[in-house]
Amino acid sequence: MKCNFNFAALLVILMLNIVFTQKMVHQYYFENYVTAMIYCVLNLVLFPVAILIYKQDQKKA
Amino acid sequence: MTHKNNKIPFNEDNYTHNINRNNERKLDRRGFMKTLVGAAGVFAVSSLPWGGVAAKELMGLGNKEYPHKKIVDIKSIPVGHSVDFKFPGEHDDAILIRLTETKYVAYQNACTHLRCPVFWEKEKGEMLCPCHHGKFDVETGAPTAGPPRRPLPEIEVIVEKDAVYAVKVKRYEV
Ligand code: FES
Repeated sequence: MKCNFNFAALLVILMLNIVFTQKMVHQYYFENYVTAMIYCVLNLVLFPVAILIYKQDQKKA
Repeated sequence: MTHKNNKIPFNEDNYTHNINRNNERKLDRRGFMKTLVGAAGVFAVSSLPWGGVAAKELMGLGNKEYPHKKIVDIKSIPVGHSVDFKFPGEHDDAILIRLTETKYVAYQNACTHLRCPVFWEKEKGEMLCPCHHGKFDVETGAPTAGPPRRPLPEIEVIVEKDAVYAVKVKRYEV
């Protein structure tokens, strides 16, 4: 069995994406614009992290 | 030379050379991980506009003033009744409720759950969203029942020359 750590990590990222998006939209409507932008940035950061994990997993195989 | 026609010229793990169907359209572990990365990309891209408009709001904060807009003449709204109007934009539904002789309240009446129009229930004295039975307090706009969690944005009104005017949309207290 392959190391499933990377796999789990990607699933966690998906989960975080959903949570951050939800928070971002709500904070936007609550007019906490700074908080909304923080969540937006977090969402953006998760993408390169996901790519890194994928690349790393590819190398291991 | 004997097996010349019996060889695969290159690694055939693709969708077009489908003579060997073993690897075709199989969502294996790697494929699924690729999908997950793609999903992260979609989330990132779709976050951008939200960050953008949030930044825009931040820069142009300082309570926006709109031209005062006449809602209704006092004589055509009896105590306990409500009228619908649009404020600040043509597509921003709002509701004005006359609570007493002198007290008026106005809210943007798109429900803070999923934006159904909120109605004034005169008999019960509460604001009701018909979609999922969200209820709002008429004095403050705060949600009192059902799915909504956020108060209705309140609109400041003034009475001038026997008519009610909308002044601005109040911000939430931070
Ligand atoms: S849209 Fe108003 S309660 Fe769901």
